[in-house]
Amino acid sequence: MAKAPDNPLPSHPRYKLIGKDYTTPDLIAKVTGRAKYAEDYRADGMLFAKLLLSPVPHGHVRNIDASEALKMPGVKAILTVDDMPKPADAMTDLGQRIPANPLGERGLTNDPVYQGEPILAVCAVDEYTAAEAIEKIKLDIERLPHVVDPLVSLRPGGANARVEGNVWLRPTAPPGQPAPPPKVTEVKWTDADFAEYKDGKLPMGKATDPEWSYGDVDGGFKNAALVLDETFVTPNTSHQTLETRTAMAYWQNGKVFVHVSTQSTAQTAPAIARWLGLLEPNGQPDLSKVVVISEYTGGGFGSKITSAISAIIPCILSKKVGAPVMMRISREEEHYIGRARPSLHGRVKVGFTKEGKVTAVDMFVVMDNGPYDPQGDANQSGRMLSLMYQPPAMRWRGITVLTNTPPRVSQSQPGGFQGIALMEPILAKASRKLGVDQVAIHRINAPVGKAPIGPPGPNGKRLYVTSAYVQEALDRGVEQFEWEKRKALPKRSGTKARGIGVATSCFVGGSVGFDGLCVIKPDGRIYIQSGIGNLGTASVSDTHRVTAELLGVPWEKCEITWGSTARNLPWSCPSGGSQTTHAHTRAAYAVALDAKDKLTQIAAKDLGGKPEDYEVANERVFRKGGGAGMSLAQAAKRAIELGGIYDGHELPKGINKMTVTSAQALMGQGLLAVARDTMPRDGQTHSYVAGFAEVEVDLETGKYRILDYLAVADVGTIIHPRALGGQVLGRSMLGIGHAIGQKWVYDQHYGLPLAKRFHHNKPPTILDAPEKMQWAALDIPDPETPIGARGIGEPPVGAGCMAILNALSDALGDEIFRRAPVTADMILASLEAGKPATEGLTAHI
Amino acid sequence: MADNQIPETTPRGLSRRDIIKGVIAGGAVSSAGYLFRTSVVGAQSSAPGSVERLITLNVNGQQRRVDVMKQETLATTLRYKLGLTGTKLGCDRSECGACTVLIDDVPHYSCSILTHTTRGKKIQTIEGLAAADGTLHPVQQGVVEQQGFQCAFCMSGFIMATVGYLKVNSNPTRAELAHGISGNLCRCQDYDKILTALMHGAELQRKA
Amino acid sequence: MAIIRDIMPAFELYQPANTDDALSLLSRHGKEAWAMAGGLDTFDWLKDRIKRPSVVVDLSQIKELTGVRPMGGGVEIGALTTLTEVVRNPTVKEKFGLLSQAAELVASPQIRNQGTLGGNVSQDARCWYYRGGWKCYRAGGNICFADTPTAINREHAILGADRCVAVNPSDTAPALIALDAQMVIRNAKGERVVNAEDYFIGPGTDIMRMTVLRPGDLLTAIRIPATWAGTHFYFEKIRDRQVWDFPLVNIASAAVFNGDQIERIRIAVNGVAAHPVRLKQVEDAVTGKPRNAATADMAGQLAVQGAEPLRYNGYKVPLMRNLVKRSIRGVEEAKWA
Repeated sequence: MAKAPDNPLPSHPRYKLIGKDYTTPDLIAKVTGRAKYAEDYRADGMLFAKLLLSPVPHGHVRNIDASEALKMPGVKAILTVDDMPKPADAMTDLGQRIPANPLGERGLTNDPVYQGEPILAVCAVDEYTAAEAIEKIKLDIERLPHVVDPLVSLRPGGANARVEGNVWLRPTAPPGQPAPPPKVTEVKWTDADFAEYKDGKLPMGKATDPEWSYGDVDGGFKNAALVLDETFVTPNTSHQTLETRTAMAYWQNGKVFVHVSTQSTAQTAPAIARWLGLLEPNGQPDLSKVVVISEYTGGGFGSKITSAISAIIPCILSKKVGAPVMMRISREEEHYIGRARPSLHGRVKVGFTKEGKVTAVDMFVVMDNGPYDPQGDANQSGRMLSLMYQPPAMRWRGITVLTNTPPRVSQSQPGGFQGIALMEPILAKASRKLGVDQVAIHRINAPVGKAPIGPPGPNGKRLYVTSAYVQEALDRGVEQFEWEKRKALPKRSGTKARGIGVATSCFVGGSVGFDGLCVIKPDGRIYIQSGIGNLGTASVSDTHRVTAELLGVPWEKCEITWGSTARNLPWSCPSGGSQTTHAHTRAAYAVALDAKDKLTQIAAKDLGGKPEDYEVANERVFRKGGGAGMSLAQAAKRAIELGGIYDGHELPKGINKMTVTSAQALMGQGLLAVARDTMPRDGQTHSYVAGFAEVEVDLETGKYRILDYLAVADVGTIIHPRALGGQVLGRSMLGIGHAIGQKWVYDQHYGLPLAKRFHHNKPPTILDAPEKMQWAALDIPDPETPIGARGIGEPPVGAGCMAILNALSDALGDEIFRRAPVTADMILASLEAGKPATEGLTAHI
Repeated sequence: MADNQIPETTPRGLSRRDIIKGVIAGGAVSSAGYLFRTSVVGAQSSAPGSVERLITLNVNGQQRRVDVMKQETLATTLRYKLGLTGTKLGCDRSECGACTVLIDDVPHYSCSILTHTTRGKKIQTIEGLAAADGTLHPVQQGVVEQQGFQCAFCMSGFIMATVGYLKVNSNPTRAELAHGISGNLCRCQDYDKILTALMHGAELQRKA
Repeated sequence: MAIIRDIMPAFELYQPANTDDALSLLSRHGKEAWAMAGGLDTFDWLKDRIKRPSVVVDLSQIKELTGVRPMGGGVEIGALTTLTEVVRNPTVKEKFGLLSQAAELVASPQIRNQGTLGGNVSQDARCWYYRGGWKCYRAGGNICFADTPTAINREHAILGADRCVAVNPSDTAPALIALDAQMVIRNAKGERVVNAEDYFIGPGTDIMRMTVLRPGDLLTAIRIPATWAGTHFYFEKIRDRQVWDFPLVNIASAAVFNGDQIERIRIAVNGVAAHPVRLKQVEDAVTGKPRNAATADMAGQLAVQGAEPLRYNGYKVPLMRNLVKRSIRGVEEAKWA
């Protein structure tokens, strides 16, 4: 089992649903405006909350005088950190306690560590009153030293972003146990460490993240024909989901009902329970006390994996005032609490053979982590680099620096993007220095098959991926993009320069171990429960088409239930990290097998013979080769009569507790199929994209246009072509935004952000998109998962960004930029100066 | 803390105190309290150009009587008083276009126009596009057929901007339509498929 | 007082139907009154609760302030005419295409559908310190935050700074200066007409205003004379995003060529100083010269003489120089094989 069906390539004619476009069940509600997002709800007697944000980047609230505000008619309550639960330990499924980070966020604070951090919330009869009340509050804040630039913090005498220090130390987990909470310490580098700073080279002082390496790094450089040592800085970029993290909550019968925007319906319930301190005696979140409602979510990109901790503010206020409370998050508030991708200052030394094959990589990164929990981007940047370019020897070092800037979290291709961004300019430069074609240098370094990734594990062996067809993606792109033809075109004409670029990118392409749950009812329809968040990537319904496909049921007879934990949903992965398509086609496969088992058993009971004598197709279970059988509707009726395992009265072991509760609620209604994905997988699932771009630069203004972009995805079997295309080009555009404009801007003296509006942070518009955009997918099934589908949310980002920047350097040479985004002013100033003219290392300019 | 340490300060205008007095004089006591606020400067109904709070709006072909504050934007009236939540607030600063509605057939950011300014004008929102029998507007149909958009928070605005643009150019090129709807931001960034879907909608409209 | 940047505070609203009523309201309420055209600049200030007028006089209902009328070979454009109407007006397009081009590059379609020509030329500075509510010179304080050693001033002035280094962000303003337009201003006492070039003021004149308008004044119309009708126009706007963005630098020129010779020319640049800059010196230097690369280079160099870039806006010097060059010799387009 668990081997992919041997599909003919490149399409799968034997599938009726998989690989076909269809109308998703949420689309009519969306186009008619009936789809309701969190802020679209109104409840009787609803009150409104507004936040008072910290005016300082780092401080301590000595006193809050809210007396004038509380005197205002219509002001109902004020919430401060004193009302917020302490950070709670988390429990794993196996009952292991993951200790809470005592320096973690609590939603409100008296010790703000970035400007814009919520200090208190005012609850009033309406937003107008709440806003007036906020202005009547007198804050007495002690101002503490602040720092918004990680390198400034590492300098001798540099300020610390937190009282405890400026660097996260990450203790490694003892064998078989969860890691102890990270600790903040103080690290300062020496003036000597900073000697190269003025030349735009990243200083490399003491690194504190757990270092890793493999292979003979020194030997690799010794044998290299070319060694490049380059500094590059990636941008901090806000997720800027179009829907802010608004939340509304009310309590009924001891339960809190909370309307949120989230990337996971299922997993948000335990997160909210934990944040609210609603725990069972054993420390597990008490899911009987929380109902999460989220039918539609207006974008996440990693910033709403389990919604947001700010969502507990209306929950707690609602309990306090005994009425529903809506907390609409404004766009400016979203800028502060809406999360962002951490930037990496990276320095990477790479050795190449004369053919362009990488011989060794020595990578050093400084992560601007923001003030809260340490992010995985730094380490992941090294892992993804090690996979994408397959260096035979590599060392990775990093340091996680705290700054007084908004909290960071995963953003599409977290860390992977940064790793690709640090490496691609070096590959492009090497291709010019060595006279090797850009595609060829990517091809020669591309992972093939079960390619190794990352550092060796405790057993001394490196992990490897399930599959990789990057060379095939490059070949496809070369053909479709007419690479050779474009390569032959001149690079200069009049006041314009043009260039073409290619970049490859990769990321984790799916997780395993989630549950599927559905009921075949006596009406002959399948009722499929989906705990996946609905962000519009369509995975909330796409993945379940596997169940319909395997049971031979037309899609019109499938009902998908999603959007509220009160609707009996199974344990599902968050719609993030490219997990879902992989994880839930597997869960859907597993649940279809469970349904088939039960159907054939029922048929054998009623019609004689053994279950294996029967097969399921065309809405029937019948004897192989024809003969006796029954419809699914009849089998569902029989399942109810038989009870036991057939209608959910008896449930299998090993499924998640949330799934158990949901299945129990659904029992007795038909044939209940429920299963956890326990299917084997040899390797770590990853997906890949090769991006191709052509740009034209105006040498007199520095402006450039992206004439054409093509992304070729190696993402396994295509489940839903239009949704896949949307993801491939949508995430490509997100990457392109990193290339052409997205950024933060801070005044370092005041530690305050200047760019808080869209026209400051520059998310790309439709007119900034490439004039032509295309996508393709190889449609080669991954061999380690049934159906063969992997996720695609992440890898297009790095390919999109770096294909553009590689095209730019193809047009203009290597002396233009050493950070992203690359904007007209940088290009023009560098062309004037004949060298990179924009400050290389200053953060947030 | 000294003023120069917090550079972001709000000037204390002479009228501040009066404004707050006026506001709290309303004595709002329920969640609908804002409906009953008194005006700020007092009764000046005789002054030319003064406006009343109780007004009639023409929304999606219906005359809707509604009590509107002076500083209220059309987006808030539509969403919170008329229940037309298909119009979204993405930025409330005329930057993202999620709140786009048609006013006399012209696309406007409803977050950035006073409701009072729209008196006597024909307002159309996403809810008013489909026919009474549920038949979708061709642009909506185009989106359905092409599976345009992802999260769809921007979708109402894009559709309204498209419907408005097609009224002045019913047969646009791809580039023309992109310019026509360029006042709308999508963060899922699937602009290519959005444009394909909306172009398809334009085609369906021409055929209809 | 704690700060919140959301929710418009209450104000009294007037929506007069004619200019006289508007002027009397503005006169009666003096400094308390805020005259609002399209509102797109206004609402930012009000929603951020930084500016707190107690009276808003919404001019949107005054029909007599809208429309494009012929006037002695030129046109008179009501100040409340939307940018979209300006763009689509056939007479403007035919005779003064420079203005159509400029107006079409303003912000976004929805903003052009509501934003007015009068509002576009009268809008406030977009400096992010000032707009963020920082108490700078322009806000009545005694510091320019954008001109400190750590300031991020990529968008700021390279010319004519006087304490404040903010720039004028208007796209239509340089077009109107190049077209030698006149601004018609009324107040309760009467009407006055100023040249477009003189409508805009720098911090040296008044650090808290962008234009000559004072409380009680209304810009009612913009008159474009026949002088430059149908001449050779050049407009270019360089911005980060191709829609909804302010100019890093923009340029407008109107020229009459006689064969290869520059007979007469007017050039204005914006985004480089607190007011749009007319390049009179450059105009004089190139008049009578051949229209070629050498003249264009000379013009470009001359235009940026005296430029004083800040830490992050040095690129504006070559950008302005190159745009001036292009305004004379045009753009050399690429011809890929």
